[in-house]
Amino acid sequence: MKKIILSAVIAAALTGRLCATVAEDSKIFTPYFDMTLMEAAFLPSAGNIFSGGNINTQAGLLTKLSQKDSIFGLYNFNYEGPAFQPQDSKQFTDRSMSHNFNFEYRRVLSEKFRVRPGVSFMRDYSRTGANEAWKNGLYNMNSFGGQLAVDYNFDFDKNGVITAAYMSRKIKFPNYTDLLREFMNASNTSETSGGLQDQNLTQISLRPSWNGFFSGLTYTEQDYDNQKVVDHVTGIYGNTLQKDKTTAVDGGFHQSLWIFELSPMVSYSMHRSNQNFLRYKSLGATFTPATLTDGTANVTMVANNYDYNEATLSVPIDLNVTGKWAIGGSFNVTSRNYTKRGARDADNNYTASKQKNVMSTLTGSIRKRINDVATMRLFYSMVVASSNNKFEKYTPNNYTGHTFGVAYQLSY
Amino acid sequence: MKRLILTSAVLLCLNGISFAAIDWQSKGMQMVGEVLANPSAFFYDFQQDLEATTPLTPGKSFGLQTGLFPTTIPMTFVNVSGKYRLHAEGRIAPGVPQVDLIGGLWNSPLAKIATKDSKTIESAKFGGDYLGAIVSSSVSPKIRTFWGYKHSMLRAKAVLKPDENGKWPQLMGTDIKSFDSGFKDDFLIAGIETPKGINKYWSMQLNYGLKTQTFSTKLSWYGKIFELGLNIYPEGVLVFHPVWNMHINF
Repeated sequence: MKKIILSAVIAAALTGRLCATVAEDSKIFTPYFDMTLMEAAFLPSAGNIFSGGNINTQAGLLTKLSQKDSIFGLYNFNYEGPAFQPQDSKQFTDRSMSHNFNFEYRRVLSEKFRVRPGVSFMRDYSRTGANEAWKNGLYNMNSFGGQLAVDYNFDFDKNGVITAAYMSRKIKFPNYTDLLREFMNASNTSETSGGLQDQNLTQISLRPSWNGFFSGLTYTEQDYDNQKVVDHVTGIYGNTLQKDKTTAVDGGFHQSLWIFELSPMVSYSMHRSNQNFLRYKSLGATFTPATLTDGTANVTMVANNYDYNEATLSVPIDLNVTGKWAIGGSFNVTSRNYTKRGARDADNNYTASKQKNVMSTLTGSIRKRINDVATMRLFYSMVVASSNNKFEKYTPNNYTGHTFGVAYQLSY
Repeated sequence: MKRLILTSAVLLCLNGISFAAIDWQSKGMQMVGEVLANPSAFFYDFQQDLEATTPLTPGKSFGLQTGLFPTTIPMTFVNVSGKYRLHAEGRIAPGVPQVDLIGGLWNSPLAKIATKDSKTIESAKFGGDYLGAIVSSSVSPKIRTFWGYKHSMLRAKAVLKPDENGKWPQLMGTDIKSFDSGFKDDFLIAGIETPKGINKYWSMQLNYGLKTQTFSTKLSWYGKIFELGLNIYPEGVLVFHPVWNMHINF
């Protein structure tokens, strides 16, 4: 779920990036290339050392057809390796890889207005085991859709632009199946457990930017094709289809002040889902309607289990010691508060307080500018993840971790 | 006071590190398990170390390359690679990119030694080759982007024979008479090259296998004769491969 929202956010960010790529007047073709590579060793407080990394490669070509018309094609390869993860998301060893193709037609309507319709296709692979083939990933995903963005330039001198965008995606999970449902209904030979994650995603956003400052308001809606909602009274699947909505606001800036480079960012999102959750303490737990709301019962219903509010603050600073070298530091904190879900004790009983997760990361780094287009960074990070949810059977909620790594970036 | 704060900070960090002890034995066993599960993929990472997948430097017509470390030493991958320029950038018409053919092969003498000395190996072959093309285009005086394709293959074959008592080698109770393991894929290459000085370059590239989804990144620093590299295989058993290659371009 979070992954899809993340993908949508990446798509929105790409839309911004597309906007940033501008053709030089003298050129018909303007290439765009950006490659970021990070590899690190992760040392968690519980568990053994592991390595992981991230590769992001973007290659694009802007073709100027006339003074007013141009086409921009962008390919994006993204790999996310093992890493420390926020609570309730995925395991440290999970990996994903995606290919995203984006084609955009740009038409200048007037001196201040520009319109950018486009289409996008994405293939996303995921894997958990070391030798699992990428093509067999349970959460492999294909998405296809279109978008329409309108730019209003209100200040040419200081790059003041307001972008309104509409995006729609049809998302399919071809390998996904509910294994528990298949297990419980083994005699049924027809396919009843697949396609439950398939959905349509719609996103509307408004993003103003001016003189290095930016902000945004984004509304995302996910309409599931087949996944039904568990009724919070009867505890069985009804006829209502799952629907998730996320509203997010963000803001920040990138400014240089003397030898300091600052790029702080803050965001706040509200996620709401009509899906409920029936917690079975064990596989053979018996269902008793009278005790459905009792947090210590063998089977407990949590209405609106997935609703949460999340705040993120990120403050990266680089101190340019010389033209080549910089000392950097950053502080990131993400706080997620579930509005309806109670925290669980170590025995899987719900407590009276609502679940709250906090993940803080403190990073120190040394950056070397190799030349005009390339940089290298050595970094160390300390992660502290804490939660009042003490039931940690599947993913860790409370841990500390150390990361040592190297990152390269080449951008043209 | 400053020194005290600094010392305290360092001790605090070290305390955190020592708190989470590393189980090297378990890590080693995990890595051995990964090699045994897919030996071809493990050895193919070393083949990628010797593959010459950067474009010829501007003004050169052909080039020869051999991988020194970790390919020839210690892996015994005796290898040679070549590059041939089909078209120099802008020769036919302004803006038409440079086109190079690339290819190479390697063989391990270990296979022959094993055949000669072993009583149970009839014949063995351990080697690989690759063939492809690189298209490169200058987008500014300091930047050259390159795109490419390569078909790459690794062969690990052995025909076994019974010992003097007529017994075949066994694996988990099963007679093994031969095995044929290898790796084959078509790769797309995308990269960028930027000069570091006179006749010195720095490049970064991504290689992606279309069938197996194998991928790697190569960071390379190269001059007239030598190339130093740091190849990264995020999904490999050994993630970092420091690389030392030698080349001559004419």
